[in-house]
Amino acid sequence: MERAVPLVVPLGQTEVFQALQRLHMTIFSQSVSPCGKFLAAGNNYGQIAIFSLSAALSSEAKEESKKPVVTFQAHDGPVYSMVSTDRHLLSAGDGEVKAWLWAEMLKKGCKELWRRQPPYRTSLEVPEINALLLVPKENSLILAGGDCQLHTMDLETGTFTRVLRGHTDYIHCLALRERSPEVLSGGEDGAVRLWDLRTAKEVQTIEVYKHEECSRPHNGRWIGCLATDSDWMVCGGGPALTLWHLRSSTPTTVFPIRAPQKHVTFYQDLVLTAAGNSCRVDVFTNLGYRAFSLSF
Amino acid sequence: MSSESGKKRKPKVIRSDGAPAEGKRNRSDTEQEGKYYSEEAEVDLRDPGRDYELYKYTCQELQRLMAEIQDLKSRGGKDVAIEIEERRIQSCVHFMTLKKLNRLAHIRLKKGRDQTHEAKQKVDAYHLQLQNLLYEVMHLQKEITKCLEFKSKHEEIDLVSLEEFYKEAPPDISKAEVTMGDPHQQTLARLDWELEQRKRLAEKYRECLSNKEKILKEIEVKKEYLSSLQPRLNSIMQGLAVLPRLECSGTIWAHCNLRLPGSSNSSASASRVAGIIVTQAALELLASSDPPASASQSAGTTGMSQGTLAASLPVQEYLFMPFDQAHKQYETARHLPPPLYVLFVQATAYGQACAHMKSSQPPRQDKTLSVAIEGSVDEAKALFKPPEDSQDDESDSDAEEEQTTKRRRPTLGVQLDDKRKEMLKRHPLSVMLDLKCKDDSVLHLTFYYLMNLNIMTVKAKVTTATELITPISAGDLLSPDSVLSCLYPGDHGKKTPNPANQYQFDKVGILTLSDYVLELGHPYLWVQKLGGLHFPKEQPQQTVIADHSLSASHMETTMKLLKTRVQSRLALHKQFASLEHGIVPVTSDCQYLFPAKVVSHLVKWVTIAHEDYMELHFTKDIVDAGLAGDTNLYYMALIERGTAKLQAAVVLNPGYSSIPPIFQLCLNWKGEKTNSNDDNIRAMEGEVNVCYKELCGPWPSHQLLTNQLQRLCVLLDVYLETESHDDSVEGPKEFPQEKMCLRLFRGPSRMKPFKYNHPQGFFSHR
Repeated sequence: MERAVPLVVPLGQTEVFQALQRLHMTIFSQSVSPCGKFLAAGNNYGQIAIFSLSAALSSEAKEESKKPVVTFQAHDGPVYSMVSTDRHLLSAGDGEVKAWLWAEMLKKGCKELWRRQPPYRTSLEVPEINALLLVPKENSLILAGGDCQLHTMDLETGTFTRVLRGHTDYIHCLALRERSPEVLSGGEDGAVRLWDLRTAKEVQTIEVYKHEECSRPHNGRWIGCLATDSDWMVCGGGPALTLWHLRSSTPTTVFPIRAPQKHVTFYQDLVLTAAGNSCRVDVFTNLGYRAFSLSF
Repeated sequence: MSSESGKKRKPKVIRSDGAPAEGKRNRSDTEQEGKYYSEEAEVDLRDPGRDYELYKYTCQELQRLMAEIQDLKSRGGKDVAIEIEERRIQSCVHFMTLKKLNRLAHIRLKKGRDQTHEAKQKVDAYHLQLQNLLYEVMHLQKEITKCLEFKSKHEEIDLVSLEEFYKEAPPDISKAEVTMGDPHQQTLARLDWELEQRKRLAEKYRECLSNKEKILKEIEVKKEYLSSLQPRLNSIMQGLAVLPRLECSGTIWAHCNLRLPGSSNSSASASRVAGIIVTQAALELLASSDPPASASQSAGTTGMSQGTLAASLPVQEYLFMPFDQAHKQYETARHLPPPLYVLFVQATAYGQACAHMKSSQPPRQDKTLSVAIEGSVDEAKALFKPPEDSQDDESDSDAEEEQTTKRRRPTLGVQLDDKRKEMLKRHPLSVMLDLKCKDDSVLHLTFYYLMNLNIMTVKAKVTTATELITPISAGDLLSPDSVLSCLYPGDHGKKTPNPANQYQFDKVGILTLSDYVLELGHPYLWVQKLGGLHFPKEQPQQTVIADHSLSASHMETTMKLLKTRVQSRLALHKQFASLEHGIVPVTSDCQYLFPAKVVSHLVKWVTIAHEDYMELHFTKDIVDAGLAGDTNLYYMALIERGTAKLQAAVVLNPGYSSIPPIFQLCLNWKGEKTNSNDDNIRAMEGEVNVCYKELCGPWPSHQLLTNQLQRLCVLLDVYLETESHDDSVEGPKEFPQEKMCLRLFRGPSRMKPFKYNHPQGFFSHR
């Protein structure tokens, strides 16, 4: 998530400013293009940069090919989340979803295809969007963030169809259960909620921080990352990273990682995690055994 | 006896008559009122006429009864006594009635009297009122006659005629639409106009008087001058008399007036002219267009013109014509080496242009830029006069010396030392530039020219109008070594800008120029550009010539940069003084950037060395990014609130305030937190480092550093107050939340609300 590039000595006003901007940059989101050749990355200044993966990975890659092909100002606030459909790149952050055409984005001065804002209750602050999730079966997009609700948007018509209410604080992350049409959401209130998309009802609630084996009160109760493979779920954040059996909603394994977790993924029967403030990617098997760590 | 008989018959009448009266009395008795009173009240109820009738009737009855008694008595008899008794009783009743009537009559009389008295009094009062009114009427009549007789003074004032008034008076006085129809308003308006005009005239009169006074004074002064000129003139005459071959006998005036800078020819011919009248002399001068003649004489008279110069100096002084001074400077300037000459000319021109521009706006006397030449002219002359010879001599002698020393002296060190000295020799003349800022602080710049290296150097010094208390941490701010560093990005003034010098240095064994910089001054690139020296990087051996256009194009920007540099340094100097005492000075026009209550406070502000900064564990990012060069100034600030201590390492670029100071933070509270293990610390750094433009305040943003420090205090407050409370720890929170926040955390990185919204005073996320 962080990046500091050593530079040639910057001296002028603009160079210093750019160096400082780079130093304090956070990359919140990334998405690979449908063709697999480009990577889009969104940072905290609301910029999206497109990198050419094919050029950077080729054998004659130079220093320049690791620089972005295009950088453009996409949002006013940070770009918290991005997903790619087969033609579009969807980015969200400061309360709006914007769609960009992958085909046009590599040209300079590209403009968004459309922008949508979920129906918010009026408030002093526009709530942010922390997570986007594509549901391919019904061709819809689920947005969740600062207003503690999940909004479903039909990608065909661009209208907001459903609102799922239940969280008491803002939502950090979303995950889709492939087999049954259910969505998991984890939030600042410390609860993981399961939603049935057919009935638009809350099916199940797991309040992670209430389970003694994984609660860490000094870190808070928020759930920062979430992953599922339909039967099992891994979630972490303030509470320790824990493997849950969804049907019985019991924690089965607590993974021994101290720092609050920022990202977690399932890969077959392995759990891959990337801690927020460390340089390691830990790989676990399902039994809580740390197989190995990938390090920068 | 008739009354007795009346008495006897009366009761019937009374009974028939007094029955209602009896009833009333009874009723009044029941109401417990006094008899007398009821009788008085009774008076009002009874009719006096009927009372009179009753009286008459009672009297007749009495008379009848009396007569009957008499009758009966005279008759006599036995039953007479009874009859008489009966009659007596009847008459007694009648007497009672009479008595009652008598009383009533008395009361009535009294009442009547009272009424009369009252009425009389009323009549008296009315009479008095009448008298008063009559008097008043008379008084008013008198007043009316007086008013009618009144004559206004304005009628005596001679007003301008009506047409003239409407033509000349401004509409806000004349108000034609109102005054046309209303003669009263018209007169008033006319009077107003008259007053206005008179006031103006009075003002004019006063002005004229003061003018007259002034002129009189001037005349007085001039008279004094003239009278004191006489002896001076005499002395000049004497001086002239000494000059041989000059038949100058008349006025020296022409000479003085026509001496234009640089026109030595005209001065020579002027001194040749023997005119008596000034104009004639001038005409002749203009007419004397025989250059060969004047040329032939000029050679012989240059020495003498110098003499006349000296003699006429006082006259110039007295007549405020500093031609000579300027001329002298120009004369000296001729001996300047080309780069310094270019600098001198351009700086003078710029200074004059600035003075002209200034004087067109507000009348200002002081020049912002003054130029002077220092150093001994003779040495320069000695150097300059036979240019080829001396250089040849030098090179010859150098060569000779080399040969001789090689033969004679085995000690190479001494010889190299001499050579180095020769190499780094300065031109004896230097140009002094004084740049005055708005607050009367002055930047003194002395420009030198290193003849053999063909580069220019500069030494700087700052003097302020008021004595500054020097804070310890401000040590380097105004030191001549660093005050001009990095005026343009990357211009440290440590290396020689002339690539050719490197070869020269190799010869004499100088490694870099930086060892000699303190003594010689800094060879900044902009100095070379001001002197019109341009050193291209591609062709190191190209001969470099002083170029006017290069100097001119850089003069203005450089002067402006110099001025802002000095001002920002002085501002920093002042700010450091209060920072060292733990006070962050926030000016009123920047107050809106911060909430009213800031609890965290600055505890320490010290300067640290570059090496120490490099060794700090939390400054690695800045060092890696190449932002921590050794030309920067480094400081350490400590901000405290309760048990929390926030260390801030500050890099102050010499280009402050266009290049912002850079902060790196380390918080000691519940463990050590830096940007590598706490995203919020990183966000705080970003707030002060990246979003510094919000903190600049009004142009030229000298408040940036203090605003950044104050912002850090605010950020620390927010950080500590929004820190989630650990439920497992007993006791209250150390820092209760006082700041108003919309949300405590936001986004995947769980940022705290660091952005302050000014008029509403709450904190939100960026």
